[in-house]
Amino acid sequence: MSAATANTNLPRRIIKETQRLLSEPAPGISASPSEENLRYFNVMILGPSQSPYEGGVFKLELFLPEEYPMAAPKVRFLTKIYHPNIDKLGRICLDILKDKWSPALQIRTVLLSIQALLSAPNPDDPLAENIAKHWKTNEQEAVETAREWTRLYASGA
Amino acid sequence: MESEDEMQDAWAGTSDGEFVNEEEDEESDALASDDDNDESDYGFDYSNVDDLHPSSRLPQTNFTILSEKDIRQRQDEAVSTITNFLSISPADAGVLLRHFKWSVSKVNDEWFADEERVRASVGLLEKPATSKRQTQTEMTCEICFEVHPFEKMRAPRCGHYFCETCWTGYIHTAINDGPGCLTLRCADPSCGSAIGEDMVLSLVSTDDQQKYMRYLLRSYVEDNRKQVKWCPAPGCEYAVEFQPGVGSYDLVCKCGFNFCWNCREEAHRPVDCETVNKWILKNCAESENMNWILANSKPCPKCKRPIEKNQGCMHITCTPPCKFEFCWLCLGAWTDHGERTGGFYACNRYETAKQEGVYDEAERRREMAKNSLERYTHYYERWATNESSRAKALADLQDMQNVQIEKLSVTQCQPVSQLKFVTDAWLQIVECRRVLKWTYAYGYYLPENEHTKRQFFEYSQGEAEAGLERLHQCAEKDLLTFLGGTPTSSFNDFRTKLAGLTSVTKTYFENLVRALENNLSDVDIPKAAAKSSSSSKASGSSKGRGGRPKVGSSKSGGSSRSGEESTHWSCEHCTYANTTAASSIVCVICNHARS
Ligand SMILES: [Zn+2]
Ligand SMILES: [Zn+2]
Ligand SMILES: [Zn+2]
Ligand SMILES: [Zn+2]
Ligand SMILES: [Zn+2]
Ligand SMILES: [Zn+2]
Ligand SMILES: [Zn+2]
Repeated sequence: MSAATANTNLPRRIIKETQRLLSEPAPGISASPSEENLRYFNVMILGPSQSPYEGGVFKLELFLPEEYPMAAPKVRFLTKIYHPNIDKLGRICLDILKDKWSPALQIRTVLLSIQALLSAPNPDDPLAENIAKHWKTNEQEAVETAREWTRLYASGA
Repeated sequence: MESEDEMQDAWAGTSDGEFVNEEEDEESDALASDDDNDESDYGFDYSNVDDLHPSSRLPQTNFTILSEKDIRQRQDEAVSTITNFLSISPADAGVLLRHFKWSVSKVNDEWFADEERVRASVGLLEKPATSKRQTQTEMTCEICFEVHPFEKMRAPRCGHYFCETCWTGYIHTAINDGPGCLTLRCADPSCGSAIGEDMVLSLVSTDDQQKYMRYLLRSYVEDNRKQVKWCPAPGCEYAVEFQPGVGSYDLVCKCGFNFCWNCREEAHRPVDCETVNKWILKNCAESENMNWILANSKPCPKCKRPIEKNQGCMHITCTPPCKFEFCWLCLGAWTDHGERTGGFYACNRYETAKQEGVYDEAERRREMAKNSLERYTHYYERWATNESSRAKALADLQDMQNVQIEKLSVTQCQPVSQLKFVTDAWLQIVECRRVLKWTYAYGYYLPENEHTKRQFFEYSQGEAEAGLERLHQCAEKDLLTFLGGTPTSSFNDFRTKLAGLTSVTKTYFENLVRALENNLSDVDIPKAAAKSSSSSKASGSSKGRGGRPKVGSSKSGGSSRSGEESTHWSCEHCTYANTTAASSIVCVICNHARS
């Protein structure tokens, strides 16, 4: 009840986006708004196949700031992940979340881009320095570590 | 406007008058020497006298002071030129000019070399708008997901329609993000169409319009830093345009601020920009605050604005409009990284530097300790004292011009025009304090092992400083006795003394400025010239002690000091040329006994 009143002046865009996310979810992605705050989403992304994150279930949080869609959503991994573009606080180095944001992008596009980032780590634009270095010097070993972390932390409990 | 002009007039003295005002000095001061003679007096070979002559007619001619109105006018002219030349809309012309940093010729050259490429890079591609949409009466906006009547939808030339409210929000966000709004592109993430001035202004609030116009005005200066810069004085709205030429970088803005065009610090002649900037940095580095900034922010290697590292990546993108992408560790271009640095994202230059110890913290601290704090404190104190002394003198000068001269004119029954020597003295003091201040920064960086240079430097600085102290004291203390009382006959003596000291001090400082600008390279000459009338230097006449003024020799007009010995004697202490008639035992200026 209180949640409903707090969110009464939710922009139509957010309501529509939420409805679509729930009714036609993108494969491997789920996003549902929190009951207390309809701008806060609990997100799950399945590790893409052919990637070291395959078989993992990764939890993220996504928040739509007051300025959304003029400003980008804020997204962060809650599940520990070994990835050169994601740091230990779960922050993500992704251009569309920073200077390449456009109001014509949506929650869905953001989440798809994050999923794509799991398939294609980019150690040339690193956020986690050590992991990126590991990736560049010994990719096989780094991938193995990523697999192990997936088993340890993202086994979907 | 009027007050600005007045300010400017009040300051005209400092601008041209620092060391320069030969004519005026000669008028008001019969003792003033001929500058041309002075040059050879010093015994230096000034083959390029115009370059070296101190403040020689401050090269105002190389600088144009621009008001906001002037800048707007130039922008309008540029836009209309491009509009006519290329037969495009003024808004498109604006887009082109901003892209090419307001250079009309660059726009022309690039456009006629390859119009298509230019259009693509600035976002002026002519794409046919999707005609299907224009036939609709209603459309769904892809940003707010609302259905709007077609007339509420707007699109740039690319035909990406969004509703007016969403465009307004989009542009508002960009304007509040900073000057990057001047190169705003279409809201569709896959599109690069430019959003021109016309579209921006037609959609946003008056407040945003003003901000946008402000950025637009500023871009003329800030995108064009090699030719135009803002006056750095707080609150000053003038910009300065620079036309390369000979002469120093010092200039005087219409607001009265005297600064160096090159580094935008306060005018620091004769010390070079590098030394000044090192010194200022050094002063800052002493404070805790600066240490934090050094650790957490670096200047963008392209535009020099400080960039704070607030994200984890080493890949830094400078804020618009610069957008330069660089490596935080080595400040090198990002494009030079990755594959080209050995397949390593990690920066090799940084790694190498680390190995060589350049970035070693312990090393840095050892270095700091070596530069003994005491030595620094010595120079800093003197630098700072001269600065506060200069500020005080400036206030005194203004008081003199606004109040005291009037008073003095009444008490001494003198026309104001006859009291110019007082303000001249104060102008000289202000300027000398400024020069003296900077010589301490110079001295700090003059290597300890350059003994001869140091000796000469300290000698010249000491002479100048002593002269200035006498002048300052005379202008401050002696004047007091004449302000309150009744007309006194000794006022004429005071006039002679103050004018004499002004002239003597001026010469000392000219010599000091010249010596420092020459990097003390003629270090051996004044010594050889001292007390010797037959210098072996081919540079010409070297009369009397090097660098000493030939004050008061106008009567004899001879070119050689020896001919004057009978009627004049030069004071050992202050160099004033006393007439033997007036005094043969004690110097009239400094009261030192004749040796
Ligand atoms: Zn809309
Ligand atoms: Zn577009
Ligand atoms: Zn100014
Ligand atoms: Zn400078
Ligand atoms: Zn920059
Ligand atoms: Zn680097
Ligand atoms: Zn004397």
